Amino acid sequence: MSSTGLLITASIVLSFFFIFLFLLYYKYLSVKTEVDVAANNENYYDYSSYLIDKKKTSSAISLNSFIMNDSKSIGIRFLITSIVFFFIAGTFGVIMRVSLFYPHPTLFAGKEVLYDILTTEHAILMIYMWAIGSALGLAYYLLPRFLKLKSDKFGNFSSWSYWIWLLGGIFILLSRTSTRWYYYPPLALELTPYGAGSMNWLAVIGIEMIMIGVTISAIVLVRNIIYERSDSIPLSKMPLFAWSVLFTLIMFLASAPFLMTAMIMLFYDFVNPVFFTGSSSSPLFFAELFWTWGHPIVYIAILPQFGLIYEILPKFTGNKVYSYTSGVIALGLLLPLSELVWGHHLMESGFGIEWGLFFSTASLFVVIPSAITVFNYIGTMWTATKIRITIPMLFVINGIMDFVIGGITGVITAVLPLNEQTHGTYWVTGHFHFVFMGITVGIAFASIYMLWPSLTGGRVYNRRLAGWHFALTAVGSMIMSMGWTVGGFLGMPRYVSGYFARYQIYQDVAIIGGVIIGIGQLFFLANLLLSMSAAPQTETSNALEDAYKNLSMAGGE
Amino acid sequence: MSDDNHKKKMKAEALWIAGFLVVLAFTAGLNFYITSQKDFSIATKMTGSNSIPNGSIPIVVTGYQWAWSYTYYNSTGKQTFVDNLNITVNQSYTLVVTSIAGAQQFAVIHDLYIPQMGIQIYAVPGQNNTITFTPDKTGTFVIECVEYCGYEHYLMRGYLTVVA
Ligand code: HEM
Ligand SMILES: [Cu+2]
Ligand SMILES: [Cu+2]
Repeated sequence: MSSTGLLITASIVLSFFFIFLFLLYYKYLSVKTEVDVAANNENYYDYSSYLIDKKKTSSAISLNSFIMNDSKSIGIRFLITSIVFFFIAGTFGVIMRVSLFYPHPTLFAGKEVLYDILTTEHAILMIYMWAIGSALGLAYYLLPRFLKLKSDKFGNFSSWSYWIWLLGGIFILLSRTSTRWYYYPPLALELTPYGAGSMNWLAVIGIEMIMIGVTISAIVLVRNIIYERSDSIPLSKMPLFAWSVLFTLIMFLASAPFLMTAMIMLFYDFVNPVFFTGSSSSPLFFAELFWTWGHPIVYIAILPQFGLIYEILPKFTGNKVYSYTSGVIALGLLLPLSELVWGHHLMESGFGIEWGLFFSTASLFVVIPSAITVFNYIGTMWTATKIRITIPMLFVINGIMDFVIGGITGVITAVLPLNEQTHGTYWVTGHFHFVFMGITVGIAFASIYMLWPSLTGGRVYNRRLAGWHFALTAVGSMIMSMGWTVGGFLGMPRYVSGYFARYQIYQDVAIIGGVIIGIGQLFFLANLLLSMSAAPQTETSNALEDAYKNLSMAGGE
Repeated sequence: MSDDNHKKKMKAEALWIAGFLVVLAFTAGLNFYITSQKDFSIATKMTGSNSIPNGSIPIVVTGYQWAWSYTYYNSTGKQTFVDNLNITVNQSYTLVVTSIAGAQQFAVIHDLYIPQMGIQIYAVPGQNNTITFTPDKTGTFVIECVEYCGYEHYLMRGYLTVVA
């Protein structure tokens, strides 16, 4: 296409975008004015509390959830947005995977840096927008019923938090950064062709905004759990999901400052490189600050889902959680332990044997609470008289299996001599995709399927389509991660747009898996569109929110 | 749950945890045992006290955007190779690895990795890391950079040839 043609296309697309934005704004204003007038007439001073009183809460997806500030609406906002980012980042993932078909770059030949951009964007968006976003969404959505909230204050803070977080995510997208998700300077300060790098500073601002947004939400939610919890629910009876959210957010608040400080220093380095470059400093200082946050974040991305598994299991086994106490203790132990192991991401950087052994052994300790948690799940299913296999239950069982594989590959890479073989390779990629695909993605979808009637205002999902969604996701991620794990052990480097021909078979196996996952997600979209276009046919309640009356196996299905 | 049943489940839980701890302790023991072996070596920051072991030939490795260069000292003087490295089997070598600025503005972090030798070591600007190894097989092996270092990171690779 000529550059004139390109310009014309771009302007047309942009105009449509702006017209769309204008329509959205117009709609927002007219609705808001209407509501404002009505609120005024009934002597409310703020439209949101009027809406909450009038409509109770809107538990279904609608545009209203973007202007109402009650917990449920905030939850829906986070959930919708995180799913949108899941699809954006997922598309990036499939494209970059396919581009690795041949050992030499083909799709991106001559502009290999596009691969680096896609990978970086994929990682950052998946972690900060999808994993954190979906967890916050589910927490906001479920906690009011779980805690029987006394009052639902501070909604406008949550609303700010959401918009700041969203803007941060958009900045990340616009920045086209290619520095990997850990931004090591001085590379992050360097410009590379095709614009990758020329706007790294925007990505730094984006991350900072995301962190500020999530911090606000974290404070509101922790406050809700501690102070707004109904008096009828002592801490010792609090649902495990609420515990897991509490621990996650404390972990977040305890480790986020490391990243936020490092990012401010990095931002200063763009102007005047003094902190992490130069003779009296080392880029490793940044790496150490980053991983002090970087390890806790991976647990932040799964802990809420661990809690959700505890809530979902009883619904389909008709059984109480095997051991509530050890469940809480295990979730709580993960908190201090995972603050101590950041060094296992830097074991080849020159720490030497002593520190290597310290972080290596500390990483083995993290496995203990993880294993207790898994045993608790197995125990719950094992002591049940009957297990109903439904779509959410399939996701849960598959998630537990994936977590066991991901945990074992994690232990293996945490062992010092083996880390020397697996660090920097696809083994690590395999390790965390087992966990992310099984737990973060799988359990989020399990919960979304359970919440389906509430989210869609009384519609049911198509079981066949949901079954395909599950099967393709599970099988695809198994194939993909297995290809990576085996190739990685033989030395296949990660984060490269081209590779030695001896690794092609593992790359190609992973491509098959990746494409299968991609196709699987289309079934989810189709399901959503189909059920939204049908008329409502059930009640808008759901089983997941009935944290206190379970022990029936109905589970809403 | 009946009492009897409950006892059985408790036993299962105890067994699971005990078995699990045994496996974990075994792993930790192995970890300490292997790393205490004489021929085990891992990237270590060079200070005054840990110099090159006796009988080990030093090779100075510099990573820059985007190649590895190897400077090799032997009785006849010094030789420099780029990308590819040739060494002799059953001879101990100590790599002294660092990073310098290449065509670009900064020296950045790299990571030298020779998978078939189980050797991996970061190249950090302003820091010398060392690692000692003895190749015990002849042949041609791959050398990779496994820390993202910019535009042509994926081309920062070469071959290690070990001759008898
Ligand atoms: C069961 C306990 C676990 C252990 C012992 C463990 C151990 C490790 C180790 C040693 C590494 C560093 C590998 C390397 O670069 O050399 C690593 C990387 C990673 N782990 Fe885990 N892990 C565990 C659980 C998890 C969980 C639950 C998650 C959550 C999804 C996770 C996500 C990650 C990620 C994302 C990385 C790669 C970071 C990067 O280099 O980009 N791990 N893990
Ligand atoms: Cu970690
Ligand atoms: Cu490099």
